[in-house]
Amino acid sequence: MSSCTVNGRLHELEEHETVARLLERLGLNAPYALVERNGEPVERASYPHVALESDDRILVARPVAGG
Amino acid sequence: MGDVDSLVIGGRRFASRLIVGTGKYESFPMMAGAVTASGAELVTVAVRLVDFDDRDGDLTSFLPAEVLLLPNTAGARTADDAVRVARLARAGGLPDWVKLEVIPDGRNLLPDPIGTLEAAEVLVGEGFTVLPYMFPDPLLARRLEEVGCATVMPLAAPIGSGRGLKLRESIAIMIEEARVPVIVDAGLGAPSDAAAAMELGADAVLVNTAIARAADPPSMAAAFRLAVDAGRRGYLAEVMEQQSAEPSSPLAGIVGAS
Repeated sequence: MSSCTVNGRLHELEEHETVARLLERLGLNAPYALVERNGEPVERASYPHVALESDDRILVARPVAGG
Repeated sequence: MGDVDSLVIGGRRFASRLIVGTGKYESFPMMAGAVTASGAELVTVAVRLVDFDDRDGDLTSFLPAEVLLLPNTAGARTADDAVRVARLARAGGLPDWVKLEVIPDGRNLLPDPIGTLEAAEVLVGEGFTVLPYMFPDPLLARRLEEVGCATVMPLAAPIGSGRGLKLRESIAIMIEEARVPVIVDAGLGAPSDAAAAMELGADAVLVNTAIARAADPPSMAAAFRLAVDAGRRGYLAEVMEQQSAEPSSPLAGIVGAS
């Protein structure tokens, strides 16, 4: 089974797992889940289409309280 | 006042000249109460990695639907860090507006002028509406304007310090020279500080800690709202020149003078 990292943590990939599916598996259905894949930001519109690959480095961020 | 005095940033019109941050509140409902009481239409948020072990609620779901979220780049120590955060925020669906902060120094939290200018130029080129946080240097403000920043945002005093309008003279020069809105950001402590900044001619102020750390944040938010309005009206009405003592009542006909 292939895996990637999400915020530095190992994540076992399902077959053809997309960014949208990743967020669903992580329980992140917030309106703003911000995703970077291998250092490049992923456009929200393409979350359902971008398939994750083995060894991808994924960062998931979101808006938090700040000034 | 009314519509004619609205603030325009990046082609968008705002009735409120008070911008608020969402940090440092005890709870999201408390934050939401303060934001609502402030009347702010532009509200800052930070961007952070999701911590899968410690998840609190979704901040944005507590905010009034009509506010425009202004993502900041807080935490960025270099221009590259800041650009990365702004791109991530926009790609993920946040507005293409950014409160640009490049702060390499964790002690005094002073912004890096060169890194800020570099990041601003890149982000403006990519179509962002850029609101840079800066030390109140009028020449830096001009450079930021020249690269296309929508505003300039000088600090009044160090972030979170509540010390008030310490850099007043430099901010006054910026206000005289600026061709984009000047938003006084950081360091304001009391509503009177906000009023003073607005009387000086600032176009808006940004307040976070002074509201969040008050004993009653929603009430303090309302106080800042009134202070900003009072200061703005005072500025438009033109504050009198300071002079020596002059009686306000007639000198003629004083009872007992003859």
